[in-house]
Amino acid sequence: MLPLALGLAAIGCGIGLGLIGYGAMQGMARQPEAIGKLQTAMLIALAFVELVFLLTVFVGAGAFRG
Amino acid sequence: MSQETAIKKTGSGALVGSVLLGAAFIAIGWFITANGVTTNTEHSIQEAVGIHIEFGKLLGTIGIFVAMFKVADVFFLTPLFEAIHGRTSELENTFSEAENLRAEMTQLKADYEKRITETENSAREQIQAQIKEAQDLKKELMADAQRKAEEYKTQAMSEIDTEKRKTLTDLRLHVTTLSLQATEKLLSENVDNDRNRKIIDDFLATVEVKN
Amino acid sequence: MDLLTRFNMLLASGTETVGGEAAEHGAEAAHHVVAPLPSFYGLMVLIAIVFLVMIGFLASAKGGLNKKFFTKTTTKLLEQLFVFIEGLAVGIIGAHGRKYIPMMMVFWLTIFIGNLVALLIHASPTSDLSFNLGMALIAVGYVQFEGMKANGVVGHFRHFAGPKLPLAMIPITLMIFIIEIISETMKNVSLSLRLYGNIYGGGEAVKAMNNLGAQYGVPWLNFGDFLFPIKLLTCVVQALIFCLLFAVYLSLVTHHEEDHEEGHDHSAHGETAPAH
Repeated sequence: MLPLALGLAAIGCGIGLGLIGYGAMQGMARQPEAIGKLQTAMLIALAFVELVFLLTVFVGAGAFRG
Repeated sequence: MSQETAIKKTGSGALVGSVLLGAAFIAIGWFITANGVTTNTEHSIQEAVGIHIEFGKLLGTIGIFVAMFKVADVFFLTPLFEAIHGRTSELENTFSEAENLRAEMTQLKADYEKRITETENSAREQIQAQIKEAQDLKKELMADAQRKAEEYKTQAMSEIDTEKRKTLTDLRLHVTTLSLQATEKLLSENVDNDRNRKIIDDFLATVEVKN
Repeated sequence: MDLLTRFNMLLASGTETVGGEAAEHGAEAAHHVVAPLPSFYGLMVLIAIVFLVMIGFLASAKGGLNKKFFTKTTTKLLEQLFVFIEGLAVGIIGAHGRKYIPMMMVFWLTIFIGNLVALLIHASPTSDLSFNLGMALIAVGYVQFEGMKANGVVGHFRHFAGPKLPLAMIPITLMIFIIEIISETMKNVSLSLRLYGNIYGGGEAVKAMNNLGAQYGVPWLNFGDFLFPIKLLTCVVQALIFCLLFAVYLSLVTHHEEDHEEGHDHSAHGETAPAH
């Protein structure tokens, strides 16, 4: 069950990252002068989404492995 | 706001203190690892959460960073900031100097332009005066010449007049003489010379001379 | 490769003796750590490597410092880094963020060089969770310290309790307080786990790809090497994100003093903006 669960987690994380990238790209295309601010905000959001996945992999999987 | 806030000199006391503090942290970390003080806790954390943490290494890391911040500060970062700040201020100085020079140059340029205009004006005035003078002279000369020409003309006219009158008188005299001789020949005597002469003279006076 | 394996085993000699042999067979025994995690001494050696590289780099750059303009390559690179970090600090924290630049630069250089080391030898301080947690503790601890300095100890903890509520709402304030404390703790976990997961996971991905290549009959080709570009990208991005989050946490804690100073400015903006 664990690999399946990890795969599901990866799907969720991928969707989240993709949404952030989508939104950021759209914003950058509309307002090229705001690229700096958007990039910072995008990276922060990416980091937070990634954290969820990392927690899933390392903490969740580790906790349920034994 | 300025970069002055970024440059905060780290004293040697703070440096030594932080290095000692870091060394103390590392020593505690080493002690913990070597004696296995926290091994049980680490194991229980790994059982519960699945991540592997060693507190000895943690303390060692913290110690190294505590020392490293000050060392890097003193070793490189402060010189870097000072260099960048110095460069910025020098650039500003150069810029203001250039600005001053430019203002000076503009002043000089304005001065020169003013002087050039003055010179041009005076030159123009001089030229105008010269031209005027020449024109006056020309007018004077022309008037002089004209006057002389008139003089010559009147003189010539009067001479011509005199000559004409003289010639006329001569002619009249001659004609009178001729007439008298002719008349003498015609009348062959007896004629009172003076009376006849007078008659002829009168006659001649009535005859208009067509010259 | 043999040398690297030996080196890794040497680093791992200590409390945790899980060598390269066990690493390859240990895929089914997932309970164990797969890569040889360095012992205390091994970690110290790795950190020493990282900091020696860093000091060497800085020393090389220090030779090019002058008051005119920098011609040395290392100096120019570090100046670019300084400009970048300055933009980050001033952009996120504000004008008073300049005093955090040295700390952010040290973090950036350490993480970046550590990640580069992880590319070359298959062990690095940043792929060790203890090291990362240590860094995160320093970062978040410094943030708390700055918060206390900016708002006072009481003010800093009152900030945790959320907005001022009437006396009857004390349970809610208590709950907010607890949640804030948990989130502050999670900052440590987030910072450290992200770095650890990316670097350690990158190495694991390379190993898995190599196994795949060996399984399907191209033993001379390391499939994992194709991951090199993305690992290189990770090196930079992780260093950036650590500094970025550090700056964001700092700005969250210290932005109040600016609110008081420029409060009139902001209100003026707020009044003029919706006019059209």
